[in-house]
Amino acid sequence: MENVVELKNVTKNFKGFSVKNINMQVKQGFITGFIGANGAGKSTTIKMMMNLLRPDAGEVKLFGLDYRTHEKEIKERIGFVYDGNVFFEGLNLKDIKRIVGPAYKKWDDTLFYKYVAQFQLPLNKPIKTFSKGMQMKASLAIALSHDAELIIMDEPTAGLDPIFRRELLDLLQEIMLDGRRTIFFSTHITTDLDRIADYIAFLQNGELIFNQSIDDVANNYALVKGELGLLDRDTEKAFVDIHRAPTGFEALTDNVKAVKKTFGESVVIERASLEDIMYYMKGRESYV
Amino acid sequence: MFNLIRRDVILQKRLLLTFIPFILFFIIMDSHPALIFLVASIFIPFNAYAYDEKTEVNILLNSLPYTRKEIIAARYLGAIIYSLASIGVASAALLAFSKPFALSDIAIGGGLFFLFAALTFPLFYILKQGYIFSAVLISFLVLAAIGPQIVLYMSDHLPAITEFLMNLSTTALYTGGAVIIGVLYAVSWGVTTVVYQRKAF
Repeated sequence: MENVVELKNVTKNFKGFSVKNINMQVKQGFITGFIGANGAGKSTTIKMMMNLLRPDAGEVKLFGLDYRTHEKEIKERIGFVYDGNVFFEGLNLKDIKRIVGPAYKKWDDTLFYKYVAQFQLPLNKPIKTFSKGMQMKASLAIALSHDAELIIMDEPTAGLDPIFRRELLDLLQEIMLDGRRTIFFSTHITTDLDRIADYIAFLQNGELIFNQSIDDVANNYALVKGELGLLDRDTEKAFVDIHRAPTGFEALTDNVKAVKKTFGESVVIERASLEDIMYYMKGRESYV
Repeated sequence: MFNLIRRDVILQKRLLLTFIPFILFFIIMDSHPALIFLVASIFIPFNAYAYDEKTEVNILLNSLPYTRKEIIAARYLGAIIYSLASIGVASAALLAFSKPFALSDIAIGGGLFFLFAALTFPLFYILKQGYIFSAVLISFLVLAAIGPQIVLYMSDHLPAITEFLMNLSTTALYTGGAVIIGVLYAVSWGVTTVVYQRKAF
């Protein structure tokens, strides 16, 4: 299986914040969801993938190529959608197309107008009059009109209403059908990912906690509920973080097998949602 | 690359409508032709920066298949192309109003524009956003106010320089000026490229 994006020991330091030693691969032909709390370093990582930021150390490769020598070739093959509007807000979509289109060798006007019609976007109104959802659709129409192999999106669903979010997710699935495309997108709305993601990369405080297939995540992580009396120094080791209440404990484990072996039938094991995982992982920090 | 240069016209197409009245104003006010050529040249390249001041624009440009070198090259080449075109339009306007002007006016106006561009373009990438436009505007006004005084002071107190300049033939004077401005423009281009390549967005 080929990796479209490869980060090797990537580190970037800012004042009071850093992204540390990230090793991550994004596999071709799949949707990878990139999750993490606000400020975890998702946007920084995406900016390094887009060469908007250069890592202090480590290597960033896209399609096996290096930005130093193949910047244009790489960007030719990427479609991007950012959180905010990056297009000149006073311009209408037609003029934006006039500026962005010629930048790509493979730009396809017919395809662009097809998406514009599908998304019901006005061509002659300035972008700044667009709603958040329309701006997103406009970015997406542009990102999809030059036959990009990799679509990178930073928080595309933030600020969108649930109906539009669902439409977007359906659309993403649709454009994945030919099997050539790869989508990498960051979000903190984890329910989006339960629906469409094949892989989940989880970033916390600038560190990559895991990058696994959604099945592996479901198999490895679980919520465990039981009576307080079951917990002692040894049995606690099976858990990432434990929440205690007078009625019993609830904990996250990253090793379901071990929990089953230790506790047997005395605890209830439930599937952990991505939100559960993020929540309990956050609790873990306060322990350390 | 050509697209990057063409972008300025698309962005400024409404503003361009004010270009002719803008020049006409100076012509009707009977300004010196060299000044008219200077302000005409400044119009498009500096307005372009007003649009590019926002970070998002740099995020967009750098996400498209352009290298940072090309983005800066488009600025410097674009300034040359647009100033030449503007000088053409201004000449036509002057002719239409049968105002006389000499080639030396074009040389002085154009020369001053390139000198000004060479000195200020790097600032757009070094200074913080939001301050740049006012910084450039203020420096332009200050230069316009103090510049002549400095020249007059020099001519009074440093006769050696004045004499040297007076003794040069007109051709030598203009060629020398052109070479100096050309070198400054090239250095400015190089500096801006280095600055821009180190930027994070």
